[in-house]
Amino acid sequence: MSTLPLQPFLILALILFCMGLFGALTKRNTIIVLVCIELMLNAVNLNLVAFSKYGAQPDITGQVFSLFSITIAAAEVAVGMAILIAWYRNKNSVNIDEVDELKD
Amino acid sequence: MIEFVWLIPTLPLLTFILLTILRDKVNQTGSYMAICLTGMAFILSVLVFIQLIDAGTAVQEWEWITIGSIQISFGTLLNPLNGLMLILVAFISLLIHIYSLGYMERDQRMTTFFAYLSLFTAAMLGLVISPNLLQFYVFWELVGLGSFLLIGFYYYKNSAKNAAQKAFIMTRVGDMGLLIGLILLFWQTGSLQFEAIFSAITGGDVEGSMLTLIAILIFIGAIGKSGQFPLHTWLPDAMEGPTPVSALIHAATMVAAGVYLVAVMYPLYMASTTALMVVTVVGGFTAIYAASIGLVQNDIKQVLAYSTISQLGFMMLAMGTLGYTAGVFHLFTHAFFKALLFLAAGVVIHAIHTQNIKQMGGLHQRLKLTSITFAIGALAISGFPLFSGFFSKEEILSAVWADGQYGLWLVALVAAFLTSLYMFRLYFLVFHGESKQRLDQIGLVPKTMKIPMSILAVFSIFSGFFNTSWFGSYLGDWLIGDNQMLTNTHHGSSIGVMLIASIISIGGIILAYMIYVKKSFDQTSLQSSFSGTYKLLANKFFMDEFYHTSFVKGAKGVGKIFVYVERYGVGFLLAFIREMLTTLSKSGSKTQTGQTQTYAAVAFLGMVLFTAIYILKGGY
Amino acid sequence: MNGELLAFLILSGAAILGGILMINLKKVVHMLLSVVLTFVSLAGIYILLSAEFVAVVQILIYSGAITIILAFGIMLTNHKAQEERSSNRLRAILVGVGVIIFFFTTYAGIKNLYFGTGADSLHIDNTQKIGESIFSHYVIPFELVSIVLLVALMGAVVLTRQREEDDE
Repeated sequence: MSTLPLQPFLILALILFCMGLFGALTKRNTIIVLVCIELMLNAVNLNLVAFSKYGAQPDITGQVFSLFSITIAAAEVAVGMAILIAWYRNKNSVNIDEVDELKD
Repeated sequence: MIEFVWLIPTLPLLTFILLTILRDKVNQTGSYMAICLTGMAFILSVLVFIQLIDAGTAVQEWEWITIGSIQISFGTLLNPLNGLMLILVAFISLLIHIYSLGYMERDQRMTTFFAYLSLFTAAMLGLVISPNLLQFYVFWELVGLGSFLLIGFYYYKNSAKNAAQKAFIMTRVGDMGLLIGLILLFWQTGSLQFEAIFSAITGGDVEGSMLTLIAILIFIGAIGKSGQFPLHTWLPDAMEGPTPVSALIHAATMVAAGVYLVAVMYPLYMASTTALMVVTVVGGFTAIYAASIGLVQNDIKQVLAYSTISQLGFMMLAMGTLGYTAGVFHLFTHAFFKALLFLAAGVVIHAIHTQNIKQMGGLHQRLKLTSITFAIGALAISGFPLFSGFFSKEEILSAVWADGQYGLWLVALVAAFLTSLYMFRLYFLVFHGESKQRLDQIGLVPKTMKIPMSILAVFSIFSGFFNTSWFGSYLGDWLIGDNQMLTNTHHGSSIGVMLIASIISIGGIILAYMIYVKKSFDQTSLQSSFSGTYKLLANKFFMDEFYHTSFVKGAKGVGKIFVYVERYGVGFLLAFIREMLTTLSKSGSKTQTGQTQTYAAVAFLGMVLFTAIYILKGGY
Repeated sequence: MNGELLAFLILSGAAILGGILMINLKKVVHMLLSVVLTFVSLAGIYILLSAEFVAVVQILIYSGAITIILAFGIMLTNHKAQEERSSNRLRAILVGVGVIIFFFTTYAGIKNLYFGTGADSLHIDNTQKIGESIFSHYVIPFELVSIVLLVALMGAVVLTRQREEDDE
């Protein structure tokens, strides 16, 4: 029987999400930006799992969804990494400031 | 037949539409078609007129617009005045259509000419059968449009272009008066139907001063269209159009519209002595003013134009002195002899290709028929005894005398004298004396031009007998009929007035003969002894120059001020706005860095802003 | 203070520490490794939340696979890369302030959240329950996710493959 309430988990998720967000919006290395996005995804997963236990309708569904989300995150990292490497071959840089093709 | 009266203006309108559509396909056929349809309109109007003699009035109306409780209808109204105008306009138009066939023979744009001519005719025919002021106004403007198109027919000539614009703008000044009067009238009586307006006026529903104002405003419209002083300057310039057009404008359509307007609104004028006085004075002044200018002009058409203005002044004078019958009667006779004079002048211009009478002379030998018909027209307009003009002019003089306007009566007499003087000056200079051109080059006058002239000559002689104090005033009696609103103002003309009128007319002719044929007086010495007067008259009292310095220069001055306002005020403002926009958009385009991270940061900050506001407002 | 709370404090402290290190460290590889600390601690938190299977998957996928991919990415590109200070300080400050505001607004939303004492039987036969749920109720999403993975695999291969003209 658990004695912890819901809030600590949500606050932990919030803190992690904020840190990930800050990193994603300020870091210049594209790989680190990807890492930060992973961190945000993890915060979301934590929320899913926490609600699966303490939610309005506690159910296994939350855990199932966190699994789906982990899968999608893995796919995203794979594609993101592939794009990054292809781009690196062109520009010889992983600096996100130099990604400004949208300008033209 | 009377219920088909709406067909009469529709037929020429149809011609206009057909000729405009088929402009490139038909040439000669198009003009025949125009003549046929106008002829049908004429026949129809004769039939209608015959029925109308018994019926008296006939009204047809259909609903047009309903705004709230106000109904505006369109339709046709026939009363003696309208019937008379209808047949007159249709007849003159038909003759001029036929004449144009010969006159415009060699013109490339003959079809266009006939199309415009038909539009003009249609507008005037529609005007005279309008049962309400709104419909009247629509056709009134259409007449203006028709005259604009026709005066500017030779649009490649700058003078024609300017004349067309001048005619349009000058009449527009008058139209403004008419429009304001019309709106005021609607405001006061709540209707635009002639019947309703008249019953409201005779019932005393409209205040006296307002009535006067409305009457004068509407008269300003008539001044513009009929070329009365001071809005007359467009009429001489309108001579730039082809001569048949001048004939049509001066005889039956455009300028007659103004007199017709006063005739139609006559109950309104009857109710206001001040308005009547204005009409009288303007008419009288215009009559002598234009006649004096006509005395010294050297352009054959200009002389005729000023004579028209003068004759219209006579009509207005008659209208103003309660001579309703006299005014309409003079309009009626004037239509014939003025059309005749213009057509004859057209033949002359057609033959020798100049309009300057100093370069004419002796044309009687070659253009016998033209010379005779022109003489008939001149005799008629001068009021030579037993010609049509004699009776109508005598009627006007008696009306003025009976009204007690003895000063104006004298003015009218002098104007009549001047009329016969300048008409015969014109006649003698053009057709008699030494010829200054090689006459053998003059070709034959086409039959299409001769026939209308002959017909008009007959009418110029005899149309006066419709209304004489000897045989009976058929026209006058019929025009007044049992209409309560018009008083029967036929004045038993005295032998004295008749005698004086005859003497005046013959005196003018004799004087002209003495000066220009016998050369009893030396023209040049006359000119030099009255050089100041001569200059004043030759320059048309400097009216054009006056308008030029007052209105044109004034408007140009105002325009210049606005040019500066535009250049420095608006221009500066615009430059400011433009610079601001450029700066803004330049700085805006700088935000497009292409860096998704920045975009995301901005989007995130926006979201934070909104959620923060949401929370602060009480959120969740 | 019971053991559960103690475990939570230690694990969450480690997770937050990993995040802080990730933001503050200079070398890219170090940053990646500090994130691994966060991932592992989160796996512990999942166990506290009666989600053993998810915890294991977390360690396998995040701490294992994704970290390895990212490490390879770092090595393939510029492995000595140092994360220099953000050139745009203004943006960093603005984003920082924004993140803090965001934290407090969201905190205002969750601070009074309470749905009940929570489920107490989730840890019993956890993996079996997940398996039953996935293969009965969520079978179509499961298949779709497999397609997404396949497409991602092919996409990654196509994107990173050396073009023939590049070889020459």
